[in-house]
Amino acid sequence: MTPPSTTGEVKAPTAHAAPRRSRAGRGPLPAIVLAAGAGLLIVSVANALARATEDTSPVLVWLGILVIALPVFYRLTSREASTGERLALVCLLGLSLYGVKILRDAPLFTFGDELIHTHNVNQIDVHHHLFHANTILKVTPYYPGLEGATSALTSITGISTYAAGVILVGAARLVLMIALFTLFARVSGSSRVAGLGCAIYATNFNFLFQGAQFSYEPLALPLLLLVVMAVAERESDRGIEIRAWTAPILLGMGAVVITHHLTSYMMVALLAALALVSWYLRKSWRPPNVWPFALVAAALAAFWLFVVASSTVGYLSPVLTNAVKAILHTIQGEEAPRGLFQGRTAAAGSTPVAARLLGLTGVALLTVGLPFGLLQVWRRFRDRPFAIVFCVGALGFFGTLALRLTPPAWETGNRASEFLFVGLAFVLSFTTLWALSRWSEAPRTKALLTGAFALVLLGGAISGWPWDLQLTRPLRVGSQAGGNIVSQPLAAAEWSTSELPEGRFAASTADADLILANGHQAVYAGPFPDIEDVLSNPKLEPWQLELLSEHDLRYLVADRRVASTDVMRGYFFATSGRSAGGPLLQKALISKYERLPRAARIYTNGAITIYDLEARR
Amino acid sequence: MRGHRDLAFACRAALASAALGLLIPIGWLSFIAAAPLFFALPGYAITSLAFARRSRGLAPLIALTLGLSLAVLVLGSLLVSALPGGLRAGWWAALLVVVTLAASWQAALRRDPGHRISLPAMRPPRLATGAIALLAGGLVLAALAIAIGFVTFKAPNAVGFTELWISPRPADAIRVGVGSQEQERRSYRLEVRVPGDAAPVERRLSLDPGQTKVLRVPLPGQPPARAQRVVALLYQAGTQGRPYRRVNAWIGGGG
Repeated sequence: MTPPSTTGEVKAPTAHAAPRRSRAGRGPLPAIVLAAGAGLLIVSVANALARATEDTSPVLVWLGILVIALPVFYRLTSREASTGERLALVCLLGLSLYGVKILRDAPLFTFGDELIHTHNVNQIDVHHHLFHANTILKVTPYYPGLEGATSALTSITGISTYAAGVILVGAARLVLMIALFTLFARVSGSSRVAGLGCAIYATNFNFLFQGAQFSYEPLALPLLLLVVMAVAERESDRGIEIRAWTAPILLGMGAVVITHHLTSYMMVALLAALALVSWYLRKSWRPPNVWPFALVAAALAAFWLFVVASSTVGYLSPVLTNAVKAILHTIQGEEAPRGLFQGRTAAAGSTPVAARLLGLTGVALLTVGLPFGLLQVWRRFRDRPFAIVFCVGALGFFGTLALRLTPPAWETGNRASEFLFVGLAFVLSFTTLWALSRWSEAPRTKALLTGAFALVLLGGAISGWPWDLQLTRPLRVGSQAGGNIVSQPLAAAEWSTSELPEGRFAASTADADLILANGHQAVYAGPFPDIEDVLSNPKLEPWQLELLSEHDLRYLVADRRVASTDVMRGYFFATSGRSAGGPLLQKALISKYERLPRAARIYTNGAITIYDLEARR
Repeated sequence: MRGHRDLAFACRAALASAALGLLIPIGWLSFIAAAPLFFALPGYAITSLAFARRSRGLAPLIALTLGLSLAVLVLGSLLVSALPGGLRAGWWAALLVVVTLAASWQAALRRDPGHRISLPAMRPPRLATGAIALLAGGLVLAALAIAIGFVTFKAPNAVGFTELWISPRPADAIRVGVGSQEQERRSYRLEVRVPGDAAPVERRLSLDPGQTKVLRVPLPGQPPARAQRVVALLYQAGTQGRPYRRVNAWIGGGG
């Protein structure tokens, strides 16, 4: 078999062989590593300034991101780099951008989902078994892949859940980049396409933050890509060698199924699509057609859904049906479309016009590049199932953008986009190659393309993550007089952990997340059961007291901060000059509990008060 | 395993890694020792078993080694959870070692005798001094970035606050806690009004940022038959009238 081409010329799919030209470690790679280190330092300083409540702009973080990513992309556009160097570059890019997320939050998890999964790991550490209840997101313990794997690290070595989680997701990020590179190289036959495709994939909306958090999807997606890579590699083998792939593919599929529901359904859809397209193109169900794997994946996912994690149906179906309804209502004009760049809660800040323009420019560039890439892929690879499925995925990505126009469908679109972006990245890597070949690979052309890449990368960061959260916020800081102090919700959570370790709480979502992650208490929040109304009504209704009693919720966390219902902003210090918590809610929301004859106000830190509803016996 | 140096090495490394991971009491050192067991050895052994008769390229080999190791951790958690005692260090180490040894052994059996599987292009590149300096510089900068990320800086604009809490435990006393999350040292006057006591219990206290003090107020005599309210009021030093913080508890009445 011939090695993958390092040039823009795309050849037939090939095996991976030793690099032909410059080796990794020679050429500009060391300088690019230095740039990545410098970029991370800039990001770290920007976040340190933000934690120190100094007036800082996200522009500094973006500068750091560009210092990391642009040299990588520029080098990937060149003909000279070897396969090994390209692989090293994409790994460097993936890990460095993962570092951006780590440096934002260290040394604590601060995303809502991260706190929920931290609780699950803590439960395993205490009980030594999987499937212990999570009162906030009930479905998560039934997909225990992430927590189970993390518990291996924590139990053998004794490192913290935070350290184990960061390392595990980092390892998954590495799998993602290598598997994607191998997949693109196999399908296109070109390591240049593979490198460019991986770099372009890093511009997807969720790559920087959402897809780098300690949550089940950032582990499941790399495992899915490993499966897809294995399927693509299998397709290039013949005869008995095809069978060698069965065990790795099945292991990967099993791991995906028990790690994340949506990713497992995406896996089934993808394998089914590959099987159908393969049949359409080759008129054969015989190997390497993947229909048996599609069938096994569907059976595994169905078994897990209906036998182990049946609560997933109740969890996902409202999300999906609401999304569909909202789309229909918006199309029919019954509902106004969601404004772009709008936060979901009152505590969210607004996005400046320049940042909005940057976000839209990024999407516009993706749109403009699409037809050129599609044409190239169609001309060269229309007889290859993977290429066809990638093209469909690329088109589907733009469908997910439409979902962002309705609030209930926003999350569905956002989640789907990082899967579909795989196809778009593949297609756009051909747009890049086409542009390079058309304009003679001059440095100016590469610089222009690198500039476009920068706009798409920053546009993705802005579109995928709220403007006011691009930089971190203070959670645990040093005081003026020395000694460390913590934010109000964290202080309340730490107090409840030490004083009420067996307590059962009703709380706003942000407070609930922190209590859950810090201890082993049962905490209820949000609309199911309807704690939301208990906390937000100025007057307590009899049914609300019954609800609290029914769930045996003795302790109630009353929080006057508007941000208390915001699982992105509700954990941090209020800061003078800029109110991180927003205005305070009316006092009646707190004082209503004072009238309960058995209640006692057992803790307060100003904004947050904890009541014992059964204090009087 | 004779003649298959890579597999023999994987087996020895798995045993050493597991033993060191379990025995070293310092978390990070233990992790460094056990990392190959988590992220490389089981995956490499399974990959060697699957492709016993033909080596793969470098990129697929790395992806499979790391990815399948993760898959073993994910799927292994189901198995270990079902064992007596559940997810404990010993079972985990045993599982990962057994997977590595068993897969390596089977891979060695399936490989053709005398047929050596060569690892693709694993030789480290020869680097010029300048390149080494640049790489080292990059690593130093990244390490510095991480170090800064873990430093707790002073945040003068973070709005500080004071905590007050009360607990009617143990039965013969009331505990009242005051915690300062303020930016500066603060002084307070704490007043606890206990039913049956003629005058409230008063304490003056000063707290540094991050400091907590707990006051134990003994209850006079037996707890009352009817539940009565104990109130703790915290005043900022130098202020009169309106309390800064207020909490309450119930004593007596079986509570």
